[in-house]
Amino acid sequence: MSFDLNFIGILIGAIMASSVPLILAASGELITERSGVLNLGVEGMMIVGAISGFALMVVTDNLFFAVVGSMMSGLIISLIFGFLTQSLLTNHVATGLALTIFGIGMSAMIGKNFVGIPGKEFPLLFVNLKESIPFLGPVFFGHSIILYFAFGLPFLTNYFLKRTKLGLIVRAVGDSPVSASNQGINVTLVRYSCILYGGAMCGLAGAYLSLIYTPQWIENMTGGRGWIALALVVFATWSPIKVLIGALIFGGITILQLHMQAVGLRIPVQLLSALPYIMTIIVLVVISRDSRKIKLNTPTSLGQIFYKEK
Amino acid sequence: MNTKLKVSEISKIYPGCIANDKVSLEFGSGKIYALLGENGAGKSTLVKILSGVVKPDEGEVFLNNERIKLNSPLDAKKNNIGMVFQHFNLFETLSVFENLSIDSDKKDEDLRVLVNDILEKYNFKIDLDIPVLNLSAGQKQKVEIIRCLIRNPKVLIMDEPTSVLTEQETDDLFISLKQFSKDGILIIYITHKLKEVLSLCDEVAVMRKGKVVSVSNTIDEKIESLANKMVGENLNTIKKKINNFKNSEEILKISNLNFKSDDPYETNLNNLNLSLKKGECLGIAGISGNGQNELFQILSGEIITEGTSIMFRNKEIGKLNPRERREYLMAFSPEDRISQAAVPELKIYENVALNNFKSSNFFEKGLVNEKKIKEHTQKILSNFSVNTDNVELKSQFLSGGNLQKLIIGRELITSPELLVCFNPTWGLDVGAINYIHETLIQINEQGKSSILISTDNDELLKLSDRICVIYKGKLSKIMNADTVTAEKLGILMGGGLID
Repeated sequence: MSFDLNFIGILIGAIMASSVPLILAASGELITERSGVLNLGVEGMMIVGAISGFALMVVTDNLFFAVVGSMMSGLIISLIFGFLTQSLLTNHVATGLALTIFGIGMSAMIGKNFVGIPGKEFPLLFVNLKESIPFLGPVFFGHSIILYFAFGLPFLTNYFLKRTKLGLIVRAVGDSPVSASNQGINVTLVRYSCILYGGAMCGLAGAYLSLIYTPQWIENMTGGRGWIALALVVFATWSPIKVLIGALIFGGITILQLHMQAVGLRIPVQLLSALPYIMTIIVLVVISRDSRKIKLNTPTSLGQIFYKEK
Repeated sequence: MNTKLKVSEISKIYPGCIANDKVSLEFGSGKIYALLGENGAGKSTLVKILSGVVKPDEGEVFLNNERIKLNSPLDAKKNNIGMVFQHFNLFETLSVFENLSIDSDKKDEDLRVLVNDILEKYNFKIDLDIPVLNLSAGQKQKVEIIRCLIRNPKVLIMDEPTSVLTEQETDDLFISLKQFSKDGILIIYITHKLKEVLSLCDEVAVMRKGKVVSVSNTIDEKIESLANKMVGENLNTIKKKINNFKNSEEILKISNLNFKSDDPYETNLNNLNLSLKKGECLGIAGISGNGQNELFQILSGEIITEGTSIMFRNKEIGKLNPRERREYLMAFSPEDRISQAAVPELKIYENVALNNFKSSNFFEKGLVNEKKIKEHTQKILSNFSVNTDNVELKSQFLSGGNLQKLIIGRELITSPELLVCFNPTWGLDVGAINYIHETLIQINEQGKSSILISTDNDELLKLSDRICVIYKGKLSKIMNADTVTAEKLGILMGGGLID
């Protein structure tokens, strides 16, 4: 293995690409959870986004429709969750788990006809810059527009939550839906919106996998990334910037340990495969030690059913 | 600015209970109105209707002779009706300022100026940029009040505002409320505390079982007359006959007991000595936080001490845990009903079984004998007039009074020789307080002893045979109750000396 600068740049670029679906899904779920809704259906929404994006790409031959369609499908499937938990007041955990199982099953069924079809090339931006600048080129350029969006998203989310009125309302609903309702805030509407936004982001995360990262349809291709995204939100203690850090560490160690396996280091493969999970948790636990901050960021009403007095 | 608020023929029916039955009342600005009633009398439902949280089934509300619709909290806000709820409606994790800005249409900078003006005008001292969870209960209430004041309210409704406040905070609140009233805000004050009605309010409306039973000027009322209206029957004034126990058998003796805590928030106890005779009630007065908690835990066995320092019926019990002490026929009623005495999520009969692990009737070979426990619970419910016969009900749905009756009943049904109570009537309404007091007198008449740790001096003077005061972890000398007055207690509680 040669350690020239350009190689490291390419490696970092690869790490960034691999963390995109995590950032997108976790940022969406973070907003959902900040409003007090625990949606365990992230994996299900992602995989539905993945198959519908791919299917639309094949059918319409238009990547724009494919991307927008994947977000729409994530939104629609999260609408089911919203209707069940917010209008019919079902338990968040059970409903979310059912959503994941439903999503995986449905995507496999739809996807049957799409196995083995090659994907379409997704346009990458600034490709010439990538090749002309050593090291920094492959880090910053030659990525898809979705990657740039994903890396901006945690900062936008942070700004939204901390600086805008709507963000304040979302946090208030997550803190105490009863108080919010007594203040005249439409809790159900806020929570529905957050659920739908989370669904759309998970759909987009799925589309990134099937259209860009590995452009093809493979059954179960999200491979547990939805669960990682969920865990990231919790271990990042509901802070968008820490979600970004966590996603990069996870993506980074995943890529690095693959390289280490390829090089043939004398470390058991099982240990290397477990490394991303262990390291991500350790790092996030260490950077999130401040118990006061945890208390302030944790949506107090997470997972609680809200029932409005009539 | 004159404000007139009128509610007319308001009715609200919940399944199994008529919360408001054709309630009609009139209010005008410049006065402070009390809405008085026991828990469950329908006061809270009425104010929820006025604040738009609950919709009435029938009836109308008029503000300055115009009919207003209150379909949501927003409608109440639009009509300048402000409401401070009993359970705070604040967002604990948001800062004070965020809590205030969330329902304001003003720009942040303008709002900050306005809030600072209000802080200055009413002499409130609150840091606007710290999270609400760091505030004391009194400060949280001020945030709620400021939130109302921002909107220039015509009407301000306070729902049992003093239930969480210290005495000092209560005094401050009353000063502020009188100031608001002078500034032309109509104030409706909901409470079940009679003294507050007399010291704060100009007019009082009494509610009972969903109906308004009386409206009068407070100067025409006394504590007794209001209490009778509230409960709807003539309450017997309880006064215990004080007995002389010189020749009775000694049942409990604490000698030279010390307790030193590592926790800076706990009080150390120094050289406690006391003795208790059979059939006697010993009252322990004091301002809360002077070691009552620790004393109760030492008596109940939550804190273990040297074996010989506590003798109960000639046995060393200092080292025994609460369960073992119960086997020696001691019984305990802790201060915190919800988290210490009962498990709110468990059903009534499960809570009854909790302090009876040893009873061979309840548990057989590690299995729960539900039938036996339920029969036993049924007996407690009827013997101690708990207002339900559903043993399957979760304890959290019992009112404070009923829960306290259940707890005392659970302890007393095993016929203990000694009952230790810590603020047994804290936060209860008059009817329930009376019942608990009668029960405590009854057990003394049956020759059982009791220790009453309480911060309510009236209660202590009513029930005790002998009284002492705890101050900074030390006990005063023990006095016969007939020689003690409220003034004497006050001096001792403040750390002074008498005689």
